[in-house]
This record gives sequence, C-alpha cells and structure tokens, in this order.
Amino acid sequence: MGRHVVCRVKDMMEGSRKIVVLEGRSIGIFHVKGEFYALKNSCPHQAAPLCVGTVTGMTLPSGPGEYLYGRDGEIVRCPWHGWEFDLLSGKSIYDPHRCLVKTYDVEVEKAEAESVSVETFAVQVEEEQVVVYI
Amino acid sequence: MSSTRIIDCDVHPYPKNRDEIRFYLKEPWKTRYTGSGRGFYGNPVHGSRLDANPPGGGPAGSDPIFLREQLIDEYGEKHAVLLPRAFCNLLPDPDFAAAIAAAYNDWLADTWLGKFNEDGVFKGSITIAHQDPSAAAKEIERWAGHPHFVQVMTDSGARAPFGQRQYYPIYEACSKYGLPLAIHPGTDGMGINVQPTPGYPTHYIEWHTCLSLGFQAHLVSFITEGVFERFPDFRVVLVEGGVSWLPALLWRLDAEYKALRYEVPWLKRKPSEYVRDHVRITSQPLERPEHDRHLLQVLEMMDAEHILMFSSDYPHWDFDSPRLAFPKLPEPLKQRIFYENAKAFYRL
Ligand code: FES
Repeated sequence: MGRHVVCRVKDMMEGSRKIVVLEGRSIGIFHVKGEFYALKNSCPHQAAPLCVGTVTGMTLPSGPGEYLYGRDGEIVRCPWHGWEFDLLSGKSIYDPHRCLVKTYDVEVEKAEAESVSVETFAVQVEEEQVVVYI
Repeated sequence: MSSTRIIDCDVHPYPKNRDEIRFYLKEPWKTRYTGSGRGFYGNPVHGSRLDANPPGGGPAGSDPIFLREQLIDEYGEKHAVLLPRAFCNLLPDPDFAAAIAAAYNDWLADTWLGKFNEDGVFKGSITIAHQDPSAAAKEIERWAGHPHFVQVMTDSGARAPFGQRQYYPIYEACSKYGLPLAIHPGTDGMGINVQPTPGYPTHYIEWHTCLSLGFQAHLVSFITEGVFERFPDFRVVLVEGGVSWLPALLWRLDAEYKALRYEVPWLKRKPSEYVRDHVRITSQPLERPEHDRHLLQVLEMMDAEHILMFSSDYPHWDFDSPRLAFPKLPEPLKQRIFYENAKAFYRL
C-alpha cells in the first residue's frame, strides 16, 4: 500500500478537484464540503476519464412529474455518456451495487516537520496535507 | 485492438463558428443564417463528450488536429467517414435549406476533406436538403467525382417515409454516381418533419430511444415501395438508428409478405433479402443486453457479418469506444464489422 502526499489542504478549495498519477494509476481527488475523496479516473462503462466529468447534484428519487434536486457537489457525471457517480462512495446512482468505480482512502494529515537546509533551523510546518493511500 | 483495422463510419466535424459556413452563403441567406442547431430535444446533460473540447478553443469536433489525436491516432483508425450536422432538413423554405446544404459541402471540401486531409483519412458526406429532391440531385451532381466524398446524407426526419416516389430524383442521382445514401438522426419530429417519430415526445430520453422507430419505418418503406427494384444500384446506410431491432422487423415483414404480396407485386424476392445487397447499418449506439451472448445471437440473426459497420459517433455524448463498445467477437467477424464491410461498401 502506497502512501502519497498529494498537496496541501489549502491548495484545494472546496468544490475543486485534482487529477494525479500515483503508481501509474490516474486518480481524481475531490474536495467535497470539507472532506476529500479519491476515485479511479476510469469509468466502469467504457473507460472514459471519469474524473474530468462535471461535479454536480442530482434529481432525487421522487413521484412522477415531481423534481427534487439535491446533493449538489456530491455527484460526478461521466464526461462521455453522462452516468452519475456518488463522489462519496464511488457507486453509480443508477445501480450502486453492480456499477461502481474504485475508490481510494484519503486522509488529511499534519504535514511532517521538514528540516530546511538553509542555516540549520528545524522548521515546523503547521499545515495539513492531503494524503492518498492506494 | 492493434491488430484490428478500423473504419469509423460516423464522425462529426463541426465548423469553428457560424462564420465559417456563412462565408459560403450568398444573400439573402448570408444574413439570415444563424447557425442554430436543431433547436430542441437537446440532451439535458451534455451533447458532446466533455473531454472533446479542443484545447485551443472552439466546439467539440471543430479542430481536425485534436480530432486526429483523440480519435484517429488513439484508436488507429484508417478512415473516418464525416457526417456534418447542418440540420437543414427541418427548414420549411427549401431554397434556404438547399443553400445551407451547399455551404456545408463547400466548407467540408475546403477544410476537412481538403487542407486537413493530405493522407486521405477523412471521407465525407454530401449534405442534401430533401425538401426539394431535384435540387438535392443537382447538389449530388456538383460533388460526384470528388475523391473524398463517399456518400450522400440526410437526416432521418422527413415528411414522408423515404420509399415514396417524391424522393426518387435523389436516388437516381445516388445510383448514377455510385454514392450510397446515409440516413442519420437529426430532425425527427421537428420543423416540417412530423413523420416518422411517434408523435411529440416529452423528454430527450423518449425522443432519443424512439429514433430507431423512424429508421424502421424508412427501411420498410424503401423495401415495400420497390425502391431497390427501381434503382438496382441504389444503396442505403442507416447511421445511428439502432441495430438489434433489425431481425424482428424483417421477420415480421417477411411474414406479412406471404399474405400481402398481392399489394406489392414488384418485389421479386422476400423483403428481407434486399438488405444484404442494398443496406448497411452502423453500430453506434450499440445495444448491450445484460448477457453478451444475447448480443452475439442478435448479430448472427441480423447477418452482421455482411451488413454491420463500426461507428463511434465522435464527439457526441454517446460515443462508442472501439475498444469497449462490443463484447469479445470472433476475429473474422470483428474484422468485417470494424473494417471490411465499410471498405467494400465505400469502395475504399
Ligand atoms: S464511459 Fe462513463 S458513462 Fe460511459
């Protein structure tokens, strides 16, 4: 299992995403309402780069003729055929049990103390960073 | 995939902006032309692949260099048959419609088939306005003999099923110049085209699913009206009209023929038998039943080996990847669908 520091938390605004290649795999990291999620950047349907799709909400299940919109910012839509995936779980909306995309663990961790070689001070970096485990 | 050669029979080039088309229009059309698309029944999510927008700007499908990278080179396509989307088939004014069709042809010839086509990868379609079949025939004549136009094309939206005789000048011209007629979805249920969509659907999902019904109506019309008897060299390709409905439709038609041959005495063969000689079908959007074996059975039943041709529909939202659109196929069948059938049909 690889541990990969991806970026500093303050470099990923809420609602933003970042696509990185870790161990040869393209992975999308999403900042959704204070939490971070990572998804394989390949759609289970025809392997489109899922993570470049639109981050959006969805129409919630409702009665005929009724529209309820919700979960804004928690859904990514495939850039090809438009299938909806739950960013929080990687599961497709239309069939969460059989159509899903691989997810990875993401942790927000304190940045390690870095020793900076200029002069000889040890500098404590008081920042948090986004770490993906694959 | 690398061993499979590919001819992609449905690729859409777009002008960078409306002025590219307007350049080829004379007044009064030049001023009137708005470049608007089909107006309604748009996909509510997105109409083209979101990753198909060229990095240098412009709409998806408008940059030949980027299209080559993302489609031709990515999948190793030998040829892409281009079908521009002029949407002129919904206009009530036949002169305006014909002018737009002609402008699109000039544009395509100069750009995609001209200066961006040194290696001949791109093959084009002659856009016609079927509102005035004689004018359409003249437009076909204007381009016949061009080395890279390989077919004539029209939207499937029409005022009457395509077997009817008002369209014959088009088929005569197609036959004379050896150009097949491609029918592509586009203006069904819009503008002047009430037929043959089933009424007036409410949602895109309804409209898009039912597009294949129009193709079925046109195919039955071609056969029963005796178009293929009247024009023995006339060939048709049904683009993006669905695939797996074909066997059931032809079984039904052949069954009807046993009792109703009396009504169509000009048919010299069983209705279904005209298909292999005269009709080709493109694959996208390929129906994928739950079990791959069911699709393989349908492909066998429909004689896919001879009549099915691969298409991706790049850059539209329902693009089919050459790598993943089909289940695993026996190699000879794959070669035919992805390459051989189109090579023979378009004489490439
Ligand atoms: S490739 Fe993602 S929905 Fe088809």
